[in-house]
Amino acid sequence: MTVQERGAYRVIGQGIPRLDAADKVSGKAEYADDFHVPDTWYGAVVRAPVACGKLKSLSRDPAFDWSQVAVVTPEDIPGNNIVDMMGRDMPFIAHDEIQYLGEPLALVAAPSLHVAKQAAAHFKVDVEERPALLTLQEMVAVYKEDPAKLHKLSGQTIRKGDAASALKDADIVLEREYTAGHQEQLYIEPQGMVAIPERDGTMFIHGSMQCPYYINPELCETLDIPPEKLRVKQSAVGGAFGGKEEFPTLIAGYCALLALKTKRPIKMIYDRNQDILYSTKRHPSWSHYRVGVMKDGTIRAIECDFVLDGGAYTTLSPVVMYRGILHAAMGYRCENVSIDGHVYRTNTFPNGAFRGFGAPQALWAWESLIDELAAACGMTPDAFRLKNCLHEGDVTPTGGLLRDSVGSPEVLEKTLERCQFAEKWQQCSRGKSGERLWYGIGLSFFAHGSGFTGDGEARMKSKVALDLETRADGTPIVNVRVSSTEMGQGTGTILPQVAADALGIDVTHVDYPMPDTFKVPDSGPTVASRTAMVVGSTIYSAGQKMKADLESFVSETLFDGQPTELVENQFRAEYDNRSIPFVEGAAAYLASHGPFRVYDQFKLPDYVKWDQENFVGDAYPAYAWGCNVAEVEVDTLTCEFRVTKVTAFFDIGRILNPVLAMGQVQGGLIQALGYAMMEKLAIKAGKYDADRMQTYVIPTSVDGPEMDLHFVEYPWDHCQPGAKGVGEAPMDGLAPAIANALEAASGVRLRDLPLTPERLFEELSRSQRLTA
Amino acid sequence: MSELHTIQTNINGKPVEASVPGRLLLSDFIREELRLTGTHVGCEHGVCGACTILYDGLPSRSCLMLAVQADGHEIVTVEGLASNGELHPLQEAFKAKHGLQCGYCTPGFLMTLVPFLAEHPDPDEATVRDAISGNLCRCTGYQSIVDATLLAARQMREKAGAVDGSEATS
Repeated sequence: MTVQERGAYRVIGQGIPRLDAADKVSGKAEYADDFHVPDTWYGAVVRAPVACGKLKSLSRDPAFDWSQVAVVTPEDIPGNNIVDMMGRDMPFIAHDEIQYLGEPLALVAAPSLHVAKQAAAHFKVDVEERPALLTLQEMVAVYKEDPAKLHKLSGQTIRKGDAASALKDADIVLEREYTAGHQEQLYIEPQGMVAIPERDGTMFIHGSMQCPYYINPELCETLDIPPEKLRVKQSAVGGAFGGKEEFPTLIAGYCALLALKTKRPIKMIYDRNQDILYSTKRHPSWSHYRVGVMKDGTIRAIECDFVLDGGAYTTLSPVVMYRGILHAAMGYRCENVSIDGHVYRTNTFPNGAFRGFGAPQALWAWESLIDELAAACGMTPDAFRLKNCLHEGDVTPTGGLLRDSVGSPEVLEKTLERCQFAEKWQQCSRGKSGERLWYGIGLSFFAHGSGFTGDGEARMKSKVALDLETRADGTPIVNVRVSSTEMGQGTGTILPQVAADALGIDVTHVDYPMPDTFKVPDSGPTVASRTAMVVGSTIYSAGQKMKADLESFVSETLFDGQPTELVENQFRAEYDNRSIPFVEGAAAYLASHGPFRVYDQFKLPDYVKWDQENFVGDAYPAYAWGCNVAEVEVDTLTCEFRVTKVTAFFDIGRILNPVLAMGQVQGGLIQALGYAMMEKLAIKAGKYDADRMQTYVIPTSVDGPEMDLHFVEYPWDHCQPGAKGVGEAPMDGLAPAIANALEAASGVRLRDLPLTPERLFEELSRSQRLTA
Repeated sequence: MSELHTIQTNINGKPVEASVPGRLLLSDFIREELRLTGTHVGCEHGVCGACTILYDGLPSRSCLMLAVQADGHEIVTVEGLASNGELHPLQEAFKAKHGLQCGYCTPGFLMTLVPFLAEHPDPDEATVRDAISGNLCRCTGYQSIVDATLLAARQMREKAGAVDGSEATS
């Protein structure tokens, strides 16, 4: 099947305002902390005082007034004391081994937050402290000595051809290491949840989250309740970026355990300090490459170790690493690839999901190295990429065939042309002495896998529903029932647009109620740039089914059996030009049959084949493609540098709402700018040193460069409307583009993120390029 | 419990009298006592700007103020921007230009920009960027907020011009 031409869509492709905008500009949107539930108590966590050790005893200070305080310890957990994610190694409440500073030892609740916090501070903890492994640098040092000395959380390999032999044949072999540090999601709304125990035994979880169907079932085992007694509903979410993917299961669990104990509603809203210290971060990474190239620029062989600092427990780290290794040699032709991915334990809070999910770390190293390889062959970065980049019909490092919707090489060619890369490349300063300012331009080019990694979509079989119902004012409404959440990125607007288009009606007749597991089927989590592609296309086909059923009803009951079509809000009879408005036909249907639900389910094309054990085949159903160019200016006196301009093209498939899509690109690039050169977390005495907004610095309105941003549309051929994914790709490529530009400006290469003036000064000093 | 203080204040045009503990934050008073939950708290120490309100017309961080400081002063929150059921032109422009994504920072941006536009009816992009440089947004990258502000400024000028024009001809 080939997707329709753009002109065939009426609502899809329109930059309509967000459906939630009115509530959000007027202060009416309800975030987790905005719920007022009578008799609510407030929860707090009693936290471990060391990063690694053995808990010997936990006791309460007898001098404190405990009469108004409820306490939950591991003995109070009805089910298993396990957080059931990809690994089953993390306890809800630590009872023996302590693996990170601040690991929960007990939970408390009290009628006021003040008392709860005081109570949490009145526990006496006796621990036998052990040496902790805290940083990526420490972990890599041990890895180089003997990986067996580390605690391995996950491992996976990719093998294609014979990289070891091919490296021997290469004209030039480069061996390089790159690192990247933690990044905090820093959504502006902190983590927050409410748990309400209901009379019929249902536990109602309501709060800030990306994935309602992670919490159910993950909490069922802990609470020892069946899935049908665990109701999870999303509140308005004030940003997430992956930070509210797996973490909310923890805070929901804390609230629910306290709610079971007290039989009262429990609210927990993290303050910013708690949120930064005790929630997930982007995994720090170490990439070690040996790559062989021929003098003509052909890439002969790629060997890569991709190592992630997992933090204390497994959580989702295996999949983050999978996405990392799947992008670590992506984008270019090479017959011989050998990649080893690893995740090892360190004694910090478990690292987790963050926009890009391993790809930004992998591409940071890979796209930096591509520039180094080009230079080694005596080629310019653009010529090297144009020579090697994948085209339609080429195969990926796992042997997946790029069948269709391949935005390469167009995004690359268009970006290069648009920013006049070749001319500007000649003007770069390259560390020329005697200049006050240095200029440099740098490039990155990449693919981002849309949808779950590997066999995820095949296992998930995303389910969606559309409900034709009657609104309070008596008019018909089509409700989109999915577990895909609105967290700012626009799900609550694009999915109604898709449904409206499929039905042939205006978006004013479609609504997106907040996901509630008692009302929506499991469409999968809102992650992995999968919602527009997977859930969007399934909504489209559900909309077509509903349209056909409504047309047949109107035809039989109102139009004497004439063929009838629903277009532009009108049911139209084919022969006698009769027509009635959608609302009239839908109201007649509702009066006759009552509410009407249509289900549908996502099915991968048969040609998508994946071997999860050996990582061979089509790792993703489709890819978004991107090219970023950064221009930088370096102050040679202070080594300060700034990005003056970013030019970028993205192929995200069919664009559902161009204004929302552009917002994803603008916001993602600014987050990527923070990752590249502003956001830094060091660990001191087991603790993140930047644990407040004052010290964890993100880009403000005056930190961004001029941006020249564009799309090209290569719709995914398998489904209507052919969207791929836009959420993550903007996070992928800016850091290496900036590092490449910095080298063009200064003549030195930085291989550690974030890129800072201090690091540039060190490298310039080492290479004696500073004349002062 | 700490001693209670009686305060007389004006919130969104309505007189309010309340007894508050001396250490109660103004942001908590607005959110918890008055249940005006459009004022959001993002960092608790004056960095993110989500809790910005108008204090006698000036944008102020309610998380850095005490409720007792409202005594004898006028407070406007995001709930007070609309009048007669009509959104403020800046709110309309945020809707039209997608000047928001998750919406959590939005009330703070609006309360920072309303007095800014009153003082700068015809700002350029750099001035707008400077005006919002103390408010953090993690979603948009700021461009759509800047675009919304420039649109609001233009529409407010046109409206003012139309009113002036009609007065001149009458």
